[in-house]
Amino acid sequence: MEHLTTKFTRNISLVILLVILAWGLNSCYYDNVEDLYPIPPACDTLNITYSGTVAPIMTANCNACHGSTDPSAGIITDTYSGLKIIVDDGSFWGAINHESGYSPMPQGGNKLSDCDLKKIGIWIENDAPND
Amino acid sequence: MKHKNPLLIFLILCLVILIHRPTAAQDDLMSLLENDEETINYEYATFKTTKVVLGQSIENPAPGVLVFLIQHHFGRINTGAYEFFGLDQATIRLGFEYGITDWLAVGIGRSSYKKTFDGYIKTKILRQSTGAVNMPLSLSYFGSIAITSLKWQETDQTNYFSSRLAFTHQLLIARKFSPSLSFQLTPTLVHKNLVPTAEDKNDIFATGFGGRVKLTNRMSLNAEYFYVFPNQIVSLDYDDSFSIGLDLETGGHVFQMFFTNSNPIFESGFITETNGKWINGDIYFGFNISRVFTIVKPKTFRE
Repeated sequence: MEHLTTKFTRNISLVILLVILAWGLNSCYYDNVEDLYPIPPACDTLNITYSGTVAPIMTANCNACHGSTDPSAGIITDTYSGLKIIVDDGSFWGAINHESGYSPMPQGGNKLSDCDLKKIGIWIENDAPND
Repeated sequence: MKHKNPLLIFLILCLVILIHRPTAAQDDLMSLLENDEETINYEYATFKTTKVVLGQSIENPAPGVLVFLIQHHFGRINTGAYEFFGLDQATIRLGFEYGITDWLAVGIGRSSYKKTFDGYIKTKILRQSTGAVNMPLSLSYFGSIAITSLKWQETDQTNYFSSRLAFTHQLLIARKFSPSLSFQLTPTLVHKNLVPTAEDKNDIFATGFGGRVKLTNRMSLNAEYFYVFPNQIVSLDYDDSFSIGLDLETGGHVFQMFFTNSNPIFESGFITETNGKWINGDIYFGFNISRVFTIVKPKTFRE
């Protein structure tokens, strides 16, 4: 009986292994973003405002953790006043660009898209107005 | 654009052949035992746990044993006092590892870094031993798949599921030089299905160096370094992963505390996506806790 169980586990594990290998073989690709998506997504950098441009990016990427209720690390990104604090001390730009000395944000996520970063950069260069 | 990877097929064929070897070897050993009085003395505990620090060690969970693993990295130390030197933040991986036989183990896990699921197999090919069989080192194969599950950033384009996958193949070559000193060499191939630019390689070759120095019976110093060969990761700001830590053993638990410049906690992540720099102080404090559960009781205890 003992012997049968061992044999059974071994067979099962080999079957599982083969399934994983078969799947692994079929899911190997050599893609890169440049060739796979030759036309980069359009980036509209005209008429950048806090309410129309920056706030939606914050909603999509930041506010889940940094909302006004129970904000992570005390940093608030869903209000203009909260965001202005970290814009002014430079930690916002450092964090979203994964610069040394800042926590890379969004935490555990991909960097914001180049387009979003460009828009935020323009907004900060214009002294981050509340418009 | 979408070719099969001949190298991977070759590696897996090798693996399948190699996997069948230990069973044959076991039968030989059994007959050896019956005929000959000389026994094989295997080296045990080359490392304390299945991890050197971040990377895999030569150790497998014992057959029938389930290991629950909590791996935790805080934030960067150089974020300063306001962030309590990184302790305000966390990256975590929860994982299970199970020993199916004494030479085969499987594991699954989920990391908060890029919301990644990973699964792996680890199989022993050679075991360091003296006596009837004199084997100077231990050799294992480790293979894993990591699947990120972040929402797609660009929703306007066709996004493929395959783009989420990354594969890691490692040979773990280890030797326990003395009860207090072990060393491991880890040739590694990471395959990423999708890379940012045409200059970036999909197949990334690296080598890991890991070691353990025992300080007391319950404590050891571990260090680990992964060298990625140049001109493979071009478009990303990248640095080699280096980690140093202490292993503390308390009956049933092993507690590993370490400093590292890697934020990700799974192989394809920390080998190819580490971007912290030690000289700048982009150092993460972290710990691993593992708890062992015996699912299938062993028939006989090792003497």
